Amino acid sequence: MESSELERFEAVVLPHLDAAYTLARYLTRNDHDAQDVVQDASLRALRYFAGFRGGASGGGRAWLLAIVRNTAYTWRQRHRADTLTTEFDEERHSESVADRHPGAAVEAQSQRAALRRAIDELGPEFREVIVLRELEGLSYKEISDVAGVPVGTVMSRLARARRRLEEALCADPEDC
Amino acid sequence: MTHPAVEAQLDAYLDGELAAPDAAELEQHLRACPECSRLERRRRALSAALRDQLPRFPAPDTLRAGVRAGARAEAGRTPRRRAPSWGVLAVAASLALVAFGSRQLALRGAAGEAITNQVLASHVRSLMPGHLTDVLSSDQHTVKPWFNGKLDFSPPVYDFAGAGFPLVGGRLEYVDGRPVAALAYSRRQHVISVFVWPADQGRTAGPRATTRQGYHLLHWATPAYAYWVVSDLGLAELGDFVALLQRGDSAAAATVR
Repeated sequence: MESSELERFEAVVLPHLDAAYTLARYLTRNDHDAQDVVQDASLRALRYFAGFRGGASGGGRAWLLAIVRNTAYTWRQRHRADTLTTEFDEERHSESVADRHPGAAVEAQSQRAALRRAIDELGPEFREVIVLRELEGLSYKEISDVAGVPVGTVMSRLARARRRLEEALCADPEDC
Repeated sequence: MTHPAVEAQLDAYLDGELAAPDAAELEQHLRACPECSRLERRRRALSAALRDQLPRFPAPDTLRAGVRAGARAEAGRTPRRRAPSWGVLAVAASLALVAFGSRQLALRGAAGEAITNQVLASHVRSLMPGHLTDVLSSDQHTVKPWFNGKLDFSPPVYDFAGAGFPLVGGRLEYVDGRPVAALAYSRRQHVISVFVWPADQGRTAGPRATTRQGYHLLHWATPAYAYWVVSDLGLAELGDFVALLQRGDSAAAATVR
């Protein structure tokens, strides 16, 4: 690879490393696996880079996220035994404490914890559409490219994921 | 407009993905139907909560450095440049490594690649001001106990000052998903990083040499420990150093026996 090609690669990929890490972090649900996934994905990206037609301004993010997503799925298959992590137990406990001590700050924190727990309990195919749409602001077409499914499927997965999140967050339907 | 039809289109509408005529029809219905407009408000509130409260995870600096180092290492391995550099390396390696055997460790695939990148990035980072050591001492009896309570093993620490490789100190690192001991030794102006952690079920391997970004990396495994050594020192001198480490380990093992 020519050094100018390496520079072009870095210009396309490095600006989207936070987005890549966020997606990997939500898919793997732990920091260390997410780092490995992104590291691995960036090497794959370099190998596929010759086939990438976009430039620094366009398409790089969805292209990189698609590779990160596929790498994370391969990773999950390889580490199937580890897919159920218990790292959110702590928040689960802290939330039950919060419930007994209501207060505005505690409530906000508890809603945050409840949101994260609800996200983590979604299947990965629902979790990824939420992250890509709500956190990354990708269009349905871009999400369909990243997830490798038709736009119609993106739409129905998003609707289903949001409905489940609403249900999970709304213990008492009268309040919602 | 039926409720199921609204449900099916509401998300696309809120995401700005609904075609204009459909959006107009939906808006008209939302104005007339309190139940559906309540649904709409809930969806908007959910999206706002997700955007505000779900954490975004900035890529850690180690990852950023690792990605850059990985890309540069990978890009450096072009067919045009590969032949001479690996040829020279092979000759040097055969001279330097013949003393301690030539078993090659199959270190292919993402896992080995990731460890290589991690130890290289850690070594490079340690050379930045103030990062070399957490415990600065040339005394092995200061450095070795420093790791107590920080690691679940007591790393082998030697002082090779007599042989021209004085101990500089130690630090904690995180490699391959676990905390590991990193020891710094020096040779003239060169720094040598030694990464060590308990071996994988007594599997022995190596030594295997590779070169990345001008640094030599040597890896081997004894029944007790996995070792990585990284330095910009010449491969021949680095080979001497590795031989010292290996002699130290076998002396220690003999004492235990």
